[in-house]
Amino acid sequence: MVVVSKAKIIGSQMFGLALLAIVLGLIPPALGFNIYYVLLAAISLSVTIMVAAWNIIGGYAGQLDLAAPVYFVVGSFVTTHLLVFYHVIPWVGIAAGALVTVVLAIILGYPTFRFGIKEVWYALLTAALVVIMQRIAWFIMTSYYYPILGSNEVYISQYIPKDANPWLYLYFPMNYTIYYYIFLALLVFTVWLNLRIKRSKLGYYLAAIREDELAAEALGIDVRRYKLYALMIYAAILGVAGGFHIMMIGILAYKNFDPWLGIVIAVMGIVGGLGSIEGAVMSGLMLRTIEEWLRSSFGAIIPGIHYLIYGVIIIIVAVLKPEGLAAVINYVKEKLGLVQYG
Amino acid sequence: MGDTMRGDMILKVDNVVKRFGGLVAVNKFSMEVRKGEIVGLIGPNGAGKTTLFNCITGVYKPEEGEIVFMNEKITGLPPHVIIRKGIARTWQKVRPFKKMTALEAVTVGVLLRRSNVSKAIKRAEKLLEFVGLPREKFHKLGTELTLIEHKLIDLARALGTEPKLLLLDEVAAGLRPHEMDRLANVLLKVKNELGITLIVVEHVMRFVMGLSERVVVMHEGRKIAEGSPEEVASNPMVIEAYLGTKPM
Repeated sequence: MVVVSKAKIIGSQMFGLALLAIVLGLIPPALGFNIYYVLLAAISLSVTIMVAAWNIIGGYAGQLDLAAPVYFVVGSFVTTHLLVFYHVIPWVGIAAGALVTVVLAIILGYPTFRFGIKEVWYALLTAALVVIMQRIAWFIMTSYYYPILGSNEVYISQYIPKDANPWLYLYFPMNYTIYYYIFLALLVFTVWLNLRIKRSKLGYYLAAIREDELAAEALGIDVRRYKLYALMIYAAILGVAGGFHIMMIGILAYKNFDPWLGIVIAVMGIVGGLGSIEGAVMSGLMLRTIEEWLRSSFGAIIPGIHYLIYGVIIIIVAVLKPEGLAAVINYVKEKLGLVQYG
Repeated sequence: MGDTMRGDMILKVDNVVKRFGGLVAVNKFSMEVRKGEIVGLIGPNGAGKTTLFNCITGVYKPEEGEIVFMNEKITGLPPHVIIRKGIARTWQKVRPFKKMTALEAVTVGVLLRRSNVSKAIKRAEKLLEFVGLPREKFHKLGTELTLIEHKLIDLARALGTEPKLLLLDEVAAGLRPHEMDRLANVLLKVKNELGITLIVVEHVMRFVMGLSERVVVMHEGRKIAEGSPEEVASNPMVIEAYLGTKPM
């Protein structure tokens, strides 16, 4: 095996990013800009962003976080709330949403890490958070939104001014292509951030924490602080993605806090191969697309059958390649002489 | 009372007590370590040696007594703060970073005092060379290495944090005789070339007797003897602790 210089690694990573952007950028024309398919593709990207963000807390830092919907939907919630009640444009709402999710990550993460909650207990706690948030959202929407808006759900299109600039309000009815490219940009950014973190001090420290917390602490790593950094970055990305997502989907409901989504994101991250951003992206794109394809192809014949097939696929991957898709990617890279070190 | 230290003292352990429920693991234990020496800390199984290490490095908080390092009280500080003061350790049972390469693991240690990753990697390479890990092993994952290699990496990782005092918890355990000699030579280099003070907790008498200038013997949480290796080896109390009393 050849040791590749750092400059060459960065170069090949930038090449990979560009390739990702170009290939995914060609999808909408390939789909003939069909509204339905482009919407599905955009949702796929949005899920993949979540998996890529999860890779930071789950893959790098090794914390089995199941609370992705918490930060994602809080981002949606803040954006919607500011738009509906204060006529704040979504761009500002999304920024505010990201800020709120980061603060939420600190409020939730600080005591969690302070009291050393980890492994399965961390997973349980984060799964419970989604349910708790759903109940809080239910309470807010039934007792506060309902009397004012006349509905438990918020239909965003009703609150967009008639002569609004679509770019200012991120409002493109029946045109999901623009949302698709927004998500693509966000995905490329998230992947870039992953690569950047992996090469940085933060990346080394998170990996050490993942491998052995006590040994990491004995090497001078403030374990709680670095776990919290990972959680904050993860939360911020999800908050931003959630803001854009709600502008695309257009309906905010308390059920958006969906515990199943939290599990799916973690499963995709694990199937991709813990700590491998390439694996996470491939897994997110492929599994989400397969799930949708199974649903549309078989879901109507036997309801729920797509989950069964989906489950079987995951079991097959887990048995054949416990290291996840990353092992396959590394094999190809080795063959191409692009082994990454350092 | 513990704040006063003679000029050449680096560590002072003063009447430290650590209990686990009813068991007193460390019982009013005191010892002093001078700058630049290698101190052996020996004792039979369950004597409290590892517990004492864990008290010094902040893994446990002692119930009584105090620990003073370079004229500063460090009792009860968390591990990541203590290492910053200059006390590093290795582990009795190696704790490798399994999914990281040898070089990455050592880089983690170096990053404590050098934030620049590229420079930290270069320094980590030097340290791995220093402890004598063959170059072709630098990019092997933790899962692909042998015990002696793990011990060397563990040592290099600790050296990366630029300690003034290094605590070695049973480094020789599980090694073959020629591997022990190899490790002993590395430890002498650590002392002579890097000027780091060492406390070597050991079970293997041959190893510690050959390496240490001074030996402290611990038994049931207490210090029962102290002196040169020869003095200690012929001390009846030490023989009794290790072998039991002669039947009457």
